[in-house]
Amino acid sequence: MKEERSQTTSTGVEREVPVRSHSAPTRVSSADGKSAVRGAFRRTIALFEEVFDEERFFLLLSVFIGIFSGLAVVCFRLAIDWTHLAVLGPLPQAHSWRMFVAPTVAGLIVAALVLHVFPATRGSGVNQTKAALYIFNGYIPFRTAVGKFICSALAIGAGHSLGPEDPSLQIGASLASALGRRVQLSREKLRLMAPVGAAAGLAAAFNAPISAVLFVIEEVIGRWSAGILGSVVLSAVSSVVIVRGLLGSEPLFRIPVTTFKRPAELIAYAILGIVGGIAAVIFAKGIGYLRPKLKALPRWTQYFQPGIAGLLIGLIGYLGFPQVMSAGYNFMDQAMHGQYTWQILAILAALKILATTLSFVSGTPGGMFAPALFVGAMLGGAVGDLERILFPTLASSTGTYVLVGMGVLFAGFLRVPLTSVFMVLEVSGNYEIIVPVIVANTFAYVISRSLEPIPIFDLLTRQDGLVLPSLEEVRDKPVLLVEDAMLPAPAVILSASDFVDAAARRAANSTQIIFPVRMQPTGWSTISSDLIQRLLNEGKGENTIGSLMPTQQLPTLYPDLSLDNALRYVNQFPIVPVINRADPQKLEGLISRDSVFARYQASEGEE
Amino acid sequence: MPRSAPAVLLILMVGAVLAFAAVSHLVYRFEANQRVRGYKLYGRGLDDVHNGKLDDAIEAFRAALTCDPGNGQYQLSLARALRDTGNPTRLDEAESYLQSLWQRAPQDGPVNLALGRLAARRGNVEDAVRYYHNAMYGVWNSDSSANRRKARLELIEFLLQKNARAQAQSEIIALTASLPPNPALHLEAANFFFDVEDYLDAFLEYEQTLHLDHTDAAAMTGAGKASYLMGHYRTAEKFLEQAVRANPQDAQSRQLLDTATLVLQADPFVRRISDAERNRRLVAAFQQAGKRLDSCEQVQTAKSGAAVLPLTQLTQQWTAMKANLPRLRSPGETDLPDAIMDLVFQIEQQTASWCGSPQGMDEALFLISRDRESADQ
Repeated sequence: MKEERSQTTSTGVEREVPVRSHSAPTRVSSADGKSAVRGAFRRTIALFEEVFDEERFFLLLSVFIGIFSGLAVVCFRLAIDWTHLAVLGPLPQAHSWRMFVAPTVAGLIVAALVLHVFPATRGSGVNQTKAALYIFNGYIPFRTAVGKFICSALAIGAGHSLGPEDPSLQIGASLASALGRRVQLSREKLRLMAPVGAAAGLAAAFNAPISAVLFVIEEVIGRWSAGILGSVVLSAVSSVVIVRGLLGSEPLFRIPVTTFKRPAELIAYAILGIVGGIAAVIFAKGIGYLRPKLKALPRWTQYFQPGIAGLLIGLIGYLGFPQVMSAGYNFMDQAMHGQYTWQILAILAALKILATTLSFVSGTPGGMFAPALFVGAMLGGAVGDLERILFPTLASSTGTYVLVGMGVLFAGFLRVPLTSVFMVLEVSGNYEIIVPVIVANTFAYVISRSLEPIPIFDLLTRQDGLVLPSLEEVRDKPVLLVEDAMLPAPAVILSASDFVDAAARRAANSTQIIFPVRMQPTGWSTISSDLIQRLLNEGKGENTIGSLMPTQQLPTLYPDLSLDNALRYVNQFPIVPVINRADPQKLEGLISRDSVFARYQASEGEE
Repeated sequence: MPRSAPAVLLILMVGAVLAFAAVSHLVYRFEANQRVRGYKLYGRGLDDVHNGKLDDAIEAFRAALTCDPGNGQYQLSLARALRDTGNPTRLDEAESYLQSLWQRAPQDGPVNLALGRLAARRGNVEDAVRYYHNAMYGVWNSDSSANRRKARLELIEFLLQKNARAQAQSEIIALTASLPPNPALHLEAANFFFDVEDYLDAFLEYEQTLHLDHTDAAAMTGAGKASYLMGHYRTAEKFLEQAVRANPQDAQSRQLLDTATLVLQADPFVRRISDAERNRRLVAAFQQAGKRLDSCEQVQTAKSGAAVLPLTQLTQQWTAMKANLPRLRSPGETDLPDAIMDLVFQIEQQTASWCGSPQGMDEALFLISRDRESADQ
């Protein structure tokens, strides 16, 4: 005995779900037995499908995206390490011919691959992921993940001055996008797959889930969206679990004892923030200036650009500074433990800016996370050591400065102030330095913003001819609120319990045409003076207004809501009440179509 | 949602398990290769350390650690190499490696020993004592008693360097309580006692050493010196004679032996000698002191161009006392020997301060006077 039951999914697709009755036969034949098993299976599937609406399914999918991204990033890291060992050896030494041959040859191979096989793998990958979210409906070809994996591993492993984090982000996003397409998610969800995968990839690469989540929100999504936050967090955490499970939970650096004892030390950190902000601007301007120049050169030169960049970087290594090659995490670790003098640290910071600029503008696939950290670390160490020489009472340990310096470049160069703070805290596991980090990062961020208004990722996007939203843009743009367009509350406010004749008397003494009506027990409506007069003429003067009005109430707004919210209602209703959040019966003012449009027009004039 | 969610999740789960297994295998293989590579580099680093090439060793250990980042042995070796360069900036890095190892295993003997040495290199007595003690009572994978003893010996050496004699002495006492019957170890302990000027315990340990190895010349010398410094010249003479016999080139022992013999021959207060012999020694001591005073006074007068008052006064006293010497034979003059020797001691002490350390018979008289003074006190 079969029953058919209709089920509607969250996407609105209606399907027929077969449901069997629960009465079981006492004796069954073999064929009946098979069909009973099949039926039970279908029932289970149907039950699960009821449980997994698209929202829940998306959340679970985020966990799998995290797992697969984590696994991909583990392989990516192995590939980089393996390449590094194969081409540079376990003990890279200055004055070895490998130092310049390896990045040059790798650059030539990468250029050919990028030009002919994986054209979408140039650069860092952050912008491409953002473009996928905002332009391509979440579509990132799977080939991009493969290309990014191969090209970045080859370039970074061979010594190009780039990091593995941004490529990991794009690999994660690409995997997520491919998975979303494979399981035929709705367009809305598919679009969100890219940032979810990006968070997973970045978290796995950086072993820091909170920073990854914040970075994706600050830089990839570009706006605070609670709807996707759960999925982003789930994917980031699951990828980190996978990476730690497979590669161990050793931190990126051996964190030295970091201290912050006296408030006077903040002066020293402020100086670091200023220096870091200026360095970040030089770094960003260098890339912003050279990248379009090199892109504008004839196409055939693109076959040689990464190779020449590799040669130059290799020469830097050959001439005595192999630290600037590849990501350089182990050298950051050494800087953290006072292995270099301030002069060497300053030189390394300058050379790293040069080397990363060369690698990046040449179109070599790779990220800017690690180079930014490297420059910040070296700069932090240099400034800290110098301050200690000049003002011994002001400065604390080198390790503390190196850590704070990392955050400074993050804030100034990548322009992700929140991520920069949490990144340092997550990496150091020490909340004692939160105040120095905030002070230094704020200075770096403010200086960088004043000297270079366009953040590096936005600059790169614009150079590529795309215009994508950014959180910084949102920060700059004044947000219009309902209260900005709100008309003052009218003098006459009626209540649903008022009698029609009393209301008519009050209306007669007023110039208002429409009167707000406070409904019982809650809610608001409106009544026109004409309607009141008509009701009075119909002899309904002793009736209450509430008993004669339609039950449908008006939508209401709060003064602090964005004015965009009012647009939904102003065409439908002549006035929309703006009420107090604490007391819904209190009318703060009214919104009308004219008042909203007038405010928008005034705002355009202000801009 | 056109695809069946349960089916998709099931497939993803299976896929995730398979991918995890595959990547785990890959990681395992990679890490195994890395471990082998790391071990080779570690071996190279150890060779470099052996050959005194610490900078090369550091590079090799660093490379080994990049291959096998969690390897405590490599970290420990790198930390030791960094520490042994003596470069103060590298001590910080060495400490950070050691601290991270210590946090993982605070009871680990080698790590505590390395931290103790690091603190010692920095001159931090408090930390050094703490880590050396941790090492002494910590866990050692092999030869724990020898390693613990080694840690204590290093601590004692460090404390002696820092002139923390009382702390060092208590460590030496603790050390001797657990020493095996090994003459070299007892000799080392005895030398430590000697260094903290605990001559009695030093002598006992030298004796113990000789008990275990009666041919040990260093122990003979040590026992002789310790006895000599305690004023036990008879015993000193015995051991120093043995030492000189065992090592005729040992000039210092020979000199000490000569002095000890002179003391024994010149001391008028020694028991079991006849009155005639005592008088002879008193006269000899008096004459020797007079000669010393005379020569010293001449030198000082020539140097300063005028008579030196304390020496002149002593000369006057000596001349006055000389007139009393014949009374020594008189039986009633019981105070005269003491008065003579008091003057002799004054002369030897004054001349020592004016004209430098005495030699030969004068040194013997000086020692007799010093020992008598301490006995009186």
